[in-house]
Amino acid sequence: MGMQGVFGGAVDRIGGEPITARMARKAPIRHLDPMLMMITLLLTTFGAVMIFSATSSNQEFLGSDPAFFMKRQIIYAFVGAFALAGLALFDYRHLRAFAPIIYGVALLTLVLVLTPLGDVRNNTKSWFDFGAFQIQPSEFAKIAVILAIATYLAERKGDVRAIDVAIAVGIGGAAAGLIFIEPDLGGTLVVVAVLAVMLLVGGAKIRHFAALGFLGAVLVVFSLQAGLIKDYQIERITAFLDTSPDVQTSGYTLVQAKIAIASGGMDGKGLGTENTQTDLRFVPEQHTDFIFTAVGEQLGFVGSAALLGLFAILIWRALRIAAMSRDLFGTLVAAGIAAMWGFQLFVNVGMTMGIMPITGLPLPFVSFGGSGLLTNFLAVGLLLNVHMRRLI
Amino acid sequence: MVARKKRSSKGDKGTRGGGGETSLGIDRTKIRLAVFAVLLIAAFVALYSRLWFLQVLAADDYRTQARENRVRRVETEPPRGRILDRNRVVLVDNSFERTVTIDRQVVDDDQAKRTLRWLARPEPRGAGLETSYKELYENLNDAAASPYKPVPVANNINATQANVIRESANMYPGVDVDYLPMRKYPQGGIAPHILGYVGEIGEDELKDDFFKGSNAGDVIGKAGIERTYDRYLRGTPGLEKVVVDAAGEVVGEPLLTREEEAGSDLILSIDSEIQRLAQKSLKSGIRAARRAAYQAPAGAVVVMDPTNGQVIAMASFPTYSPSLLADGFSTKDARKLGVPTETGDDDAQVNRVIAAQRQPGSTFKVVTAGAALANDLISATSQVPCPGRTEYPPEDPFATVFHNWTRADLGLMGVPESLQVSCNTFYYELGWRLETSYGPPKSAGGDGTEEFQRYERLAGFGNPTGIDLPYELGGRVPDEKWCLEAQEETENTQYPLCEQGWLPGYTVNMAIGQGDLIVTPLQMAVTYAAIANGGTVWEPRVAMAVAKDELDDGTVTTSKQKGKAGARTIEGGLQGEDIVTSIEAKPAGELPLDDVELAAIRQGLELVVASPGGTANPAFSGFPLDKFPVAGKTGTAQLGGTKLNDAWFISYGPSNNPKYVIAVYLEKAGHGGESAAPVARQIWEGIAGVDKKTEVSLAEDDSR
Repeated sequence: MGMQGVFGGAVDRIGGEPITARMARKAPIRHLDPMLMMITLLLTTFGAVMIFSATSSNQEFLGSDPAFFMKRQIIYAFVGAFALAGLALFDYRHLRAFAPIIYGVALLTLVLVLTPLGDVRNNTKSWFDFGAFQIQPSEFAKIAVILAIATYLAERKGDVRAIDVAIAVGIGGAAAGLIFIEPDLGGTLVVVAVLAVMLLVGGAKIRHFAALGFLGAVLVVFSLQAGLIKDYQIERITAFLDTSPDVQTSGYTLVQAKIAIASGGMDGKGLGTENTQTDLRFVPEQHTDFIFTAVGEQLGFVGSAALLGLFAILIWRALRIAAMSRDLFGTLVAAGIAAMWGFQLFVNVGMTMGIMPITGLPLPFVSFGGSGLLTNFLAVGLLLNVHMRRLI
Repeated sequence: MVARKKRSSKGDKGTRGGGGETSLGIDRTKIRLAVFAVLLIAAFVALYSRLWFLQVLAADDYRTQARENRVRRVETEPPRGRILDRNRVVLVDNSFERTVTIDRQVVDDDQAKRTLRWLARPEPRGAGLETSYKELYENLNDAAASPYKPVPVANNINATQANVIRESANMYPGVDVDYLPMRKYPQGGIAPHILGYVGEIGEDELKDDFFKGSNAGDVIGKAGIERTYDRYLRGTPGLEKVVVDAAGEVVGEPLLTREEEAGSDLILSIDSEIQRLAQKSLKSGIRAARRAAYQAPAGAVVVMDPTNGQVIAMASFPTYSPSLLADGFSTKDARKLGVPTETGDDDAQVNRVIAAQRQPGSTFKVVTAGAALANDLISATSQVPCPGRTEYPPEDPFATVFHNWTRADLGLMGVPESLQVSCNTFYYELGWRLETSYGPPKSAGGDGTEEFQRYERLAGFGNPTGIDLPYELGGRVPDEKWCLEAQEETENTQYPLCEQGWLPGYTVNMAIGQGDLIVTPLQMAVTYAAIANGGTVWEPRVAMAVAKDELDDGTVTTSKQKGKAGARTIEGGLQGEDIVTSIEAKPAGELPLDDVELAAIRQGLELVVASPGGTANPAFSGFPLDKFPVAGKTGTAQLGGTKLNDAWFISYGPSNNPKYVIAVYLEKAGHGGESAAPVARQIWEGIAGVDKKTEVSLAEDDSR
């Protein structure tokens, strides 16, 4: 009751309660989502352990620090935690004003990365190399696109016309197109998925989706005809449909990934076990896109199912926040984030198990990578932001 | 639909303030969120189901795959031992040749076919190998090829082709160029039947106890000495079980290691000079017989040392070049050598010295004489008549008539003269006496002890001699037991044998090497060696020693290094010879003849060659018998129902101190003295160092 003294004893008579007390009760800081924060911490820790497990033996083999990748990931996590806190403190509703600027900067970086300023890695021009660290603008662009679309659709207040759909598609499509040119098919698809879910939640009608579906099909056919999609991408995408994949080429990664996961069995082979698929580097990109294979092999069904359970809680929290949000903007932001995580999770885990095509997508919080981790922490920051301000 | 209608009927959004926050708006948004939630739940259900399937239901299969992924057997083929002759002339060596291999662990069938087509296609669109696609495919799918090793599909490619293939390895996975050891025959077509050949182990051989401990893909001796002494020649392959990573790089220490050990060298008692001479003489003799309008499809020569049972030379006709079978592609064997016709007398792979089973004709008379002498039916000085014809049983109205080769009555004669003129009636008489004494009681009243057959077996007939070569046949010594069995077996067939049970005539005929008696040329050589050496019947040997070649520093050289030393000198053969095992012929038995009896037979054999009336005398006209006396016996085996004869000549020399026995046999080639003896003479000239004639020409001989 010391609070009363602070606020000078002013009382809102209507509510029968002192205003100061009501304000204090509604204070954002008192409405954090501890479960969301706990899940974020658990997933990040889980990821760091798996990154160590997937990289240590090769690092040792190369004579480098076995914990190199894990240490870097932990540093990224700390940076991300500060970014998360900063973003949470800043009322998300003010972000509506900044959304166009943020979106503009994101598009600019996506253009710049295609210029000689960008760095080519794995045949993809999607990085800025700053020496000590690298930045992948397409990761941050996802947040920018979510904010931009949410801002625009929130303005429509649930009543969405064809022109609004077109503008939203334009916002998402511009970013998606630039990411596609890098080329980063996985990143492109994430933006498309986020756009679709935000249109759904934002109020687009069935006929809009029908029209978009038709246009999308035309676009895909055109891309194939015009050779915009690279041969290796087609090969990778179709490999999962092939029941007897060529062991040496496109199906190789998939076969090795499946062998790794399945050979883990119920309990897994244990972390750091020697002569595993992980230890012998049979699965490429195992600390990044294929980290789930290390989980499957070493921790078995128990560990994999637990990891998927953490993601289920994470996405449930995001959806819960979307439903609890005080305004449509918050709902759209939370739904967009849920879509981003849900799609990445499904495609990433699905591709390692052979039910989705292989597209380069990291597993949120778990895969190694600073830009991705930072983006996901920012997303958690936004969710917390919406959650803690749901009452004021 | 309902919701949509409601919404559109509400008109424009402007009329409603804070639309998103009206109860209806929030509900709508929540419904939309619920749709999204359902999609997410479906995704999770899919992920969990797949995870359950992979990690719980299919885990065992994938565990196996994971193991196969990382454990690889790496086998190394040790250099096979060389084969040298008695003077350390290298007969079989290894060379390392560029060989195209395809790893079936890496490629599937479609991919392999694509690669093979590319290999066979001419440059620049292919690798330009001379081998056809079909042949490559056959080689790749050779059932005998190891699943653990890359399969060789083409040999002896040139450096350009090798470069093209290596450069294209990333386009055609699994293809590689390797240096593989290949059998090499520095002496050319010498002794293919002795040496045999090597190849990957076949399915039947894998089950064979002889090759116990071998694995699929091992290269083994398939025939000849390569097979008999396989365990010495082969050495021990190195074996490693290693864990490999994704790049195929070996990780850590091997799980299991066995050191590779090179095969030992094998030294044969063969003298390549005499071997070459024997092959040349045999071929020349066959040619001469064919010029004289004989069929002469086949023949054999064996040269033996009667003092120790060692084989000095062994020739068989038709022959082939051993290098034809050197590449180890088993499916091609038959095609390369040509498919033998139905009669098989053109089957080049048959070593006729040990596998031709023919009637010996008159060359067998020494055995009959020996049996009669040993059983005291005659003595060394006995006189037996040699009429133009005889009848058995004597003075029987139903007797069978037996003719000599001449109608003239040559009067009484002893053993030496009987051999000199090859008197048939003399030996019919001995046969009759043996039959009446020891034949089956039912036949001519003998006691049934079959002492004649017992002696024949003692002299080396009826069973394989036991020489160290595979696939030796034992011939046949007919006796009553065989007769009754044959009767049963061939009843109601086109050629029934022994229809009326054992008849005295069988023994009478056998006495001159006819009838159901069949022998191999090697058996003839062995029995003549026994006569020449005082009675020892040898179990002959082709191999003399197993040796390791050690240099001064004690390291065992690989055959690769040795390959250069192909000189014909002792120095060129083995640099630091270290005999591991000596191989010696074993005495298999002793002829029950005393010196006087043996001397009588030997005297006869000397007369055959040296005396003007001897059946082989014409063939040796001009041969310096005074300097190098040769003794021997001709044989002309009549082939039942035809006018064809097998020609034989078995001889030894120098007859005063025998060092060599030479058995010559020519199939369907006339009389022994006419066509076989000249072949032997050619070889004797070489041995005696009086090489005059270079081609065999037929001699006179009208004996039977």
